[in-house]
Amino acid sequence: MKRTTKTRLTRGVMYLIFLAAVAALVLAADWAAIQKAFFNVEIAKDAFPDVIVVAAKNTIIYTAIAFAGGMVFGLVLALMKLSPVAPYRWAATAYIEFFRGLPALLVIFTFAFAVPIAFQWRPPGGSAGAGLLALIIVSAAYIAETIRAGIQAVPKGQVEAAHSLGMSGSWTMVSVVLPQAFRIVIPPLTNELVVLIKDTSLLFIAGMAIQEQELTTFARDSVSSVGNSTPLTIAALMYLAVTLPLTRLVAYMERRGARGR
Amino acid sequence: MSPRKLKTLSITAALALALSACGSGGTDAAEGEPELLSAGELTVCTDAPYKPFVKPDKSAPSGYSGFDIDIAAAIAEKMDLELKVKDAGFDGLQSGASLAAGQCDVVVSAMTITEEREANLDFSDPYYDSKQSLLAVTGSGIASLDDLDGKKLGVQQGTTGAEYAKDNVPDGAQLISFPSDAELYAALNSGGVQAVLQDLPVNLVHTGEGEFEIVEEYDTDESYGMAVKEEGSEDLLAAINENLQALKDSGDYDTIYEKYFSTK
Repeated sequence: MKRTTKTRLTRGVMYLIFLAAVAALVLAADWAAIQKAFFNVEIAKDAFPDVIVVAAKNTIIYTAIAFAGGMVFGLVLALMKLSPVAPYRWAATAYIEFFRGLPALLVIFTFAFAVPIAFQWRPPGGSAGAGLLALIIVSAAYIAETIRAGIQAVPKGQVEAAHSLGMSGSWTMVSVVLPQAFRIVIPPLTNELVVLIKDTSLLFIAGMAIQEQELTTFARDSVSSVGNSTPLTIAALMYLAVTLPLTRLVAYMERRGARGR
Repeated sequence: MSPRKLKTLSITAALALALSACGSGGTDAAEGEPELLSAGELTVCTDAPYKPFVKPDKSAPSGYSGFDIDIAAAIAEKMDLELKVKDAGFDGLQSGASLAAGQCDVVVSAMTITEEREANLDFSDPYYDSKQSLLAVTGSGIASLDDLDGKKLGVQQGTTGAEYAKDNVPDGAQLISFPSDAELYAALNSGGVQAVLQDLPVNLVHTGEGEFEIVEEYDTDESYGMAVKEEGSEDLLAAINENLQALKDSGDYDTIYEKYFSTK
C-alpha cells in the first residue's frame, strides 16, 4: 500500500469516528425534552430586558471592580515579591500561595459570613460588597504572579542601561521595566479577566438583593420562579457573548506577540 | 425536511417507542391492590436532610426520622408494608421525574401542593399546613414585617416565603435572597440581615440553635402533600388518603405532630 493511500485511509477512519460520535450524541438526546426545558421561547422573552439591564450590567460592573482592585493590589504584591527586603518577599509569597490554594467560593463565604462574626466589621456595600472584596483578594494573588513573571521577563540589560544613564531604582521600575512588563502580560491578564467574569457567578453564595443580582443569581432565581431551565441557557449565552470575543482577542494578541519577537 | 433528518427522526421515534414499551411492563396487581415497585415495600423518595421533616437517623429502621418519615412510616405500617427511604434531589422530586423514572412509589418531601407540580404528578390529601414565620434576634425590637423599614430581610431563593416577603415588606426594607437555608442562617448570625422569613418549622429549629425568636407567623394557605406518579398509582393514592385519614381520626397524627412542632 502506498504511503499516501495509507495516510488517506487513517484520516478517513478518524473522520468516521468523529461523525459517529456526533451522530450518537444527536440520536441519544431527547430533543423535544431539551427544547421544552432549556429553549422555551416564551420564558426566554420574559427574561428580557432585566437579564441585560440588571444582570449582565451587574456582572460587568462586578468584574470591572474586582479586576481594577485586583490589578492595584496585585501590582503591589508583585513588587513586594521582588523586593530586596526579605520580610516583604515572605509576606507576599505567603499571601499568594494561601489565596491561590483556596476555592474562591470559600473565600467569598468567609468574607460574607465569617469575617463579620469574627471582627464585628462588615465590608462596605452589603453582601455584594463582601463578595467583591473576596474576589479582589483572590484575583490579586493570581494577578501578582502574572505581573511578577512579566517583570522578570524584561531583559536585564534594560535595567542596566537605565542605571548607566543615572536613573534611580524606583524610576527605572516605573518608566522602563513596568511599561515593558505590561506589554508582555496583557494576554495572560486578559485570560485572568475572563476567569474573573465567570467567577462573579460565585457571588450568589453571599446573598443578593434583586437589583444587585448578576447573571447566575438572576438565572437561578428565574429558574425557581418559572419552573423551567431556560433562564440558565440565556445566562450561558450572555457569558459567551462577552468571554468568546475576549478569548479570541487573547489568541490574536498572542499570535502577534509571537511574530513580533 | 431532508431525507437524512427524517431518518434521524424516525430512529429517534422508534427508540422512544421501544423505551416506552419497556416502561409499561411491570407487576400485574390484583384489582384494588396498590401496585408497588417491589412487593411488600413502600419506597419513599425524600430530599434529606430538611429538619424537622427529615434527617438521617441511624436508630430508625429506615435510616431516617422526622415528621415526613414518621407519617410515611405510620401509613406503611397500616398498609402492612415495610418502609424504604431513598434520598433524592428535590428538583427531580417536584418535577415528577423521579416518580416517572420508577425510583420510588411515593414522594414525601415537605412538598407544597401547587398547580404547576400537579401537572406532572398526583397529590394526596394535605398532611401538613405550612406556615411562614419571621425570625429575628431575641430582643432586637423587631416585632413584625413593618419594623423592617430601612433594614435587611433574608429569604431563601425560589421559596414561597420569598414570594410572600416580596408582596408584604414595607418599601424601605431590602430583600436579600440566599441559595439555601444554610447561608440564610449564617447571614442572620453575622448580622448581614436583621430578620429571616422562612418556613415556620425550619425557623423553629433555629430558635433552638441560638438567641433567636419567632416574632410573627403568616398563614399562606399552603399545604404539603405526598405525591405519586400520574398514571397507574390510583389505588396507591386511595390507600394513602384512607390511611392518612385514619391516622388523623385515631389521634396518632397529633402525637407525631406534637413531637416535631410543639411551640411550647
